[in-house]
Amino acid sequence: MKLLAVTVSLGAALLVTMTAPSYAGGGDAIFKKNCASCHYTDGPAKEKTIADQLAKKGPELFYAGSKFQKGWLAAWLQDPKPIRPMKYNSLTEKNAGDHPKSSAGDAAALTDYLMGLTSAKVAAGKIKAKSTPQARNIFAKKMPCSGCHQTESKGDVSGGLSGPSLVGAGKRLNPDWVYAYLTDVKSFKPVRDMPDFSKAMSPKDMEGLAAYIATFE
Amino acid sequence: MSRFVIMITMALGLALSAAGSAQAADDAKQVFDFYCAQCHGEKGDGKGINVTKSFSTDPRNFTVTADMEKRSDDDIRTVIKDGGPAISKSPLMPPWGATLSDAEVDGLLAHIRKLCKCTAK
Ligand code: HEC
Ligand code: HEC
Repeated sequence: MKLLAVTVSLGAALLVTMTAPSYAGGGDAIFKKNCASCHYTDGPAKEKTIADQLAKKGPELFYAGSKFQKGWLAAWLQDPKPIRPMKYNSLTEKNAGDHPKSSAGDAAALTDYLMGLTSAKVAAGKIKAKSTPQARNIFAKKMPCSGCHQTESKGDVSGGLSGPSLVGAGKRLNPDWVYAYLTDVKSFKPVRDMPDFSKAMSPKDMEGLAAYIATFE
Repeated sequence: MSRFVIMITMALGLALSAAGSAQAADDAKQVFDFYCAQCHGEKGDGKGINVTKSFSTDPRNFTVTADMEKRSDDDIRTVIKDGGPAISKSPLMPPWGATLSDAEVDGLLAHIRKLCKCTAK
């Protein structure tokens, strides 16, 4: 009986020592230590008022695994170039490009952790990159997308500055997430300075836009 | 005595409603700064940060009284909710109807009327 207890506790101790180091080096622990002061990862979205949104120091990441492409995320965490032309939540200050940098090892662990944070509201494997005349017309003319988002055409970057730049969005964003975001914006960002287009466009138009954005270089 | 009570009640009521409308004005200013200032600028002069050289139509400058008094309150509500094309203006003015409540739209209308120091002619 006593022997059994000793064996069990020894076994438990062994288990702890075996898993502890990998946990300490695990992405979630690194995240808690270095990232959680600015990003929340427990959904659903918490913001109810403009003040709630303005109090945030960084974007919510509770659906990061559905939003980003893995290769982009691992590289960006090591070399975080500005995504938003302006400082987060500011319409006056430029983005200083001062996001914390992670080592290659930390970035890999953080990427594994963040890619595990997926959203059931994003249907996987639905949208494939495709540029159609309809979608190009909606993005550039029929709808105000270009008024708030930068894009690149033949080396020329143009467009508004209040939204995240969509230059390179084809490598950064998961098109299935873009579609989910356009059709159901409130589930991801209940308070944001981008309009909810759900009454202004059909789901089909949004599918075309998501596929088009996936071609952005 | 009853006179006194009535007077106090009236004074209180007045103070409260003044505080209420000051609160509403603050709220409208916050809504304006968050959603509209990106293009129209915090001062409403049409010089928001999105207005770069590729921005094909200048956002409305709300401080120009002569332009703004030509717009009815209904036109202003409509263009906020349904976007520029709803009053034959540029599609760069987005439709905010699915984002803002009717009360927020009314607050914006009041804020814009304050910026132009005008009413509809
Ligand atoms: C001081 C606050 C702060 C800290 C600490 C911080 N971030 Fe950020 N993070 C931001 C801001 C602000 C942005 C927006 C940057 C931009 O748009 O260029 C951002 C953007 C991101 C993005 C892209 C999100 C999106 O929706 O565009 C990811 C992913 C991210 N951070 C991960 C991390 C990780 C992982 C850590 C910890 C190693 C971390 N951040 C630490 C403030 C912070
Ligand atoms: C009035 C400005 C505005 C307009 C118009 C606008 N957006 Fe946005 N958009 C934003 C802002 C601001 C965000 C970021 C919101 C946040 O993270 O809080 C955003 C986010 C996005 C994102 C996610 C990008 C990322 O990296 O997180 C996509 C995709 C997007 N918009 C596409 C569109 C499309 C397509 C249209 C046209 C149908 C459009 N936007 C119109 C301001 C705008």
